[in-house]
Amino acid sequence: MFGIRLENVTKRFDNVLALDRINLEIDAGEFFFLLGPSGCGKTTLLRILAGFEQPESGRVLFDERDVTAVPPHERNTGMVFQNYALWPHMTVWKNVEYGLTMRNMPQHERDQKVKRVLEMVQMSGYARRSPNQLSGGQQQRVALARALVIEPDVVLLDEPLSNLDARLRLEMREQLLDLQRALGVTMIYVTHDQKEALAMGERIAVMQMGKVAQIGTPRDVYRQPLTRFVADFIGEINLISGEIKSVESGVVAATDVGDILGQAGYEGIQVGDRVLCAIRPEAIGFLLDESGTADNVILGQVRRAIYLGEVEQFFVELASGDQVKLIKYDATIQHAQPGDEVRLGFSQVVMLRDEAEDRDEAV
Amino acid sequence: MKRFDLNWPTLIFLVGLIGFFVLFLFYPLWYAFVQSLVVDGRFTFAFYELMVTSPVYQESILNSFRLGMITTIATTLLSLPLAFLLVRYDFAGKGFLNGLILVPMVLPPFVGAIGMKQMFARFGSINLLLLDLGLIDQPIDWFGGGGFVGVVILEVLHLYPIMYLNVAAALANVDPSLEEAARNMGSRGFRLFRTVTFPLMLPGYFAGAIIVFIWAFTDLGTPLIFNYRQVVAVEIFNSIEDINENPMAYALVVFVLLLTVFFFYLSKATLGNRRYEMIARGYISSGSRPASRGMTVLIYAAMLSLTGIALIPHLSVFLTSIAERWFMAVLPQETTGRFYTMVFEHPMSLSSIEMSLILSVLSTTLDVVLGIAIAYLLTRTRIPYKGVLDAMAMLPLALPGLVLAFGYLAGYSGTFLDARHYPVPLLVIAYAVRRLPYMVRAAYAGFQQTSVTLEEAAQNLGASRLRTLFQITFPLILANLVAGGILCFAFAMLEVSDSLILALKDEYYPITKAIYALMGRIADGAYLASAMGVFGMVLLIVSLFLAGRFLGRRMGELFRA
Repeated sequence: MFGIRLENVTKRFDNVLALDRINLEIDAGEFFFLLGPSGCGKTTLLRILAGFEQPESGRVLFDERDVTAVPPHERNTGMVFQNYALWPHMTVWKNVEYGLTMRNMPQHERDQKVKRVLEMVQMSGYARRSPNQLSGGQQQRVALARALVIEPDVVLLDEPLSNLDARLRLEMREQLLDLQRALGVTMIYVTHDQKEALAMGERIAVMQMGKVAQIGTPRDVYRQPLTRFVADFIGEINLISGEIKSVESGVVAATDVGDILGQAGYEGIQVGDRVLCAIRPEAIGFLLDESGTADNVILGQVRRAIYLGEVEQFFVELASGDQVKLIKYDATIQHAQPGDEVRLGFSQVVMLRDEAEDRDEAV
Repeated sequence: MKRFDLNWPTLIFLVGLIGFFVLFLFYPLWYAFVQSLVVDGRFTFAFYELMVTSPVYQESILNSFRLGMITTIATTLLSLPLAFLLVRYDFAGKGFLNGLILVPMVLPPFVGAIGMKQMFARFGSINLLLLDLGLIDQPIDWFGGGGFVGVVILEVLHLYPIMYLNVAAALANVDPSLEEAARNMGSRGFRLFRTVTFPLMLPGYFAGAIIVFIWAFTDLGTPLIFNYRQVVAVEIFNSIEDINENPMAYALVVFVLLLTVFFFYLSKATLGNRRYEMIARGYISSGSRPASRGMTVLIYAAMLSLTGIALIPHLSVFLTSIAERWFMAVLPQETTGRFYTMVFEHPMSLSSIEMSLILSVLSTTLDVVLGIAIAYLLTRTRIPYKGVLDAMAMLPLALPGLVLAFGYLAGYSGTFLDARHYPVPLLVIAYAVRRLPYMVRAAYAGFQQTSVTLEEAAQNLGASRLRTLFQITFPLILANLVAGGILCFAFAMLEVSDSLILALKDEYYPITKAIYALMGRIADGAYLASAMGVFGMVLLIVSLFLAGRFLGRRMGELFRA
């Protein structure tokens, strides 16, 4: 078990920059997530860690040892592939045993380890089956067992749950978390599903177009997104554009719906900056009477209400013509109806740099 | 960063491979080309002029064209309706009929010709039967035109399965929604076919048509058996003996080569950029519908009668092989098994079987090794000029066997590879080069169907690349490799043009050349040759069946352009 460091890792496919100077440090025993939309480079990064791809420049360090040029079979990483990649010409047992055979482990030791790991993933009864006879969830467990049995220095998971149905996915999430905690092994998990990352990750690296947009705990990246992309990609967000007019006691932005008070989302914020006021839908409340207060209060009219069972969504049109979205969890009471004039109150606002503005200046 | 996976073993293999292609693909063709233009150190166009001016060569070239065109048209007329019935209708036994179509291919047409000659001779079975029935009062000259009709019939019966495979694939690839759109606009029936379906099928159809045309144009064995000598292939064959005095054959070979190149270029130039891929869409209609009872009967009747006709040569070969006495009678008056025993007793047939086995085993081994390596490089590595390697490996598919064999014979004459002295090396290489595309395709398909992640998983767990190849990849694609190997072997056993041209001494005759030689040499030649033909048929049937079992439904893909 050890930490991993990536230094300026860059990878190009033909002329597409897949990874652009990636710097990352992953601690020993950490459950680390690489999160991003398809094509952001997260899988390429994982494959570089496994040794299937060579970075164009930069270094990969396992526990301070430079492994950039080490071939895949000498890295001692355990990878779980998106399609599981179980060998159809071998039984479950043989699949799991394979890595141990490669390590020239004596037969009785192999038997013990395979037995134990199959118990761990609750697949003991299936050892003699062929992978084709297993359900998706079972194949997933075998793939996991195969990666874990070699006692790898790091486990690499490439969207391991994406081929499972929703219920099974939740179940496997729990089991994977339990396993990681029990074994204390470093795990790097690639996914495009923000819920998975938030629910399981100790830290998350959100990736965008070959770059790391933000690294932090789930709480950090959700509550303090650094960019509009991160805010948009993780959860839902309302964005109201404005211009900073004061940074004295709290940051205040002037917008079409009045002044909004919030906190700086980036360093060096100053008066005159074009910003986006980012507000999570669940952070906005209906102020039912005059007594309700919040840092910010704005008026609007409910346009649509969508009942989703455990939550209810509302779309409220503001005076500026913008719409904001609200999510209310207590769906047993009726909060508002389309056509209602409402007062909205919210306190948690992050001021993000308006990147469109940056681009305009650059031109 | 490394743009290509080039390590020393790969480089050495690539250089060796290029050397092999240069020596045994390009050099022989180049040699023929030069010889056709340079005589006694002087440049001349005389031989090409002779093609146009000499009535003999004119006649031969015209006949070959006629043969190619008629065969292409006839196979088209047979395969198009057949493809429509089998692609567009669902009925019980569809898989069986699809397999049945391939059956006529199990016999080289020139062997079929031996039997056909017996059956359709002036006083052969068919004429006698018709005379007995009182339908005619004069025997019909079935092979009219000095054997031309006979050659055409055999080519058509042998080649329509290849045409069918291409046409059926092209038809199956036509997006049904495009036809539906046309129907929606009010088009139907033949008009729909002419305006929408056929234009969409054209690239696939054209590819098949070229193969059939070139095949018929260059087939050597069949005209030889019918003693129909006025075609290009036979002209080339006949001039082998006096090639040093008369370089005309070089010019003819170059002519055939250029014709082939021209046709393939034409199809690429006119149709290459018209690949009609299926358009993604929400609703996928299967394009086939259940056949009514009457339709099913019609389909079966058409298929069975066609296959029945196509199998007449096979049947006649079989009858000839068991005929003790067959003279002026519809069926043999007396039957015997002695020709089968004779196959294993006559020195020439016996040595030819031995020879063919040796040649086929060697050439198949070469094919398997080269085929796997090429397919591996194409699917699993990044190497420069991949397209060139792919094209080189596929080139022999388009190259008439006659042209290559002639190039070998002439180009290596006087060297230690001279086929006149010891033809085994060149025969092995010729067989191997001709069948290499099948092996590459079979292995390529296997590599492609096997997810790379299965190999990566093994490497991730500590297996080296080589170990992964042997423990994971090969077991997974074994079926493809075995099927490809079986096909290479079977076709090598019954290879015609290479054997006829390159094997010049009795003791080195492979089976096909022995069949041809025996025909003219001994009194019972036709019977003995037929018995050998039956063995060949059985061998091919078993091989195709085995390959089919391993390859499953993708079998047909190997015979398409």
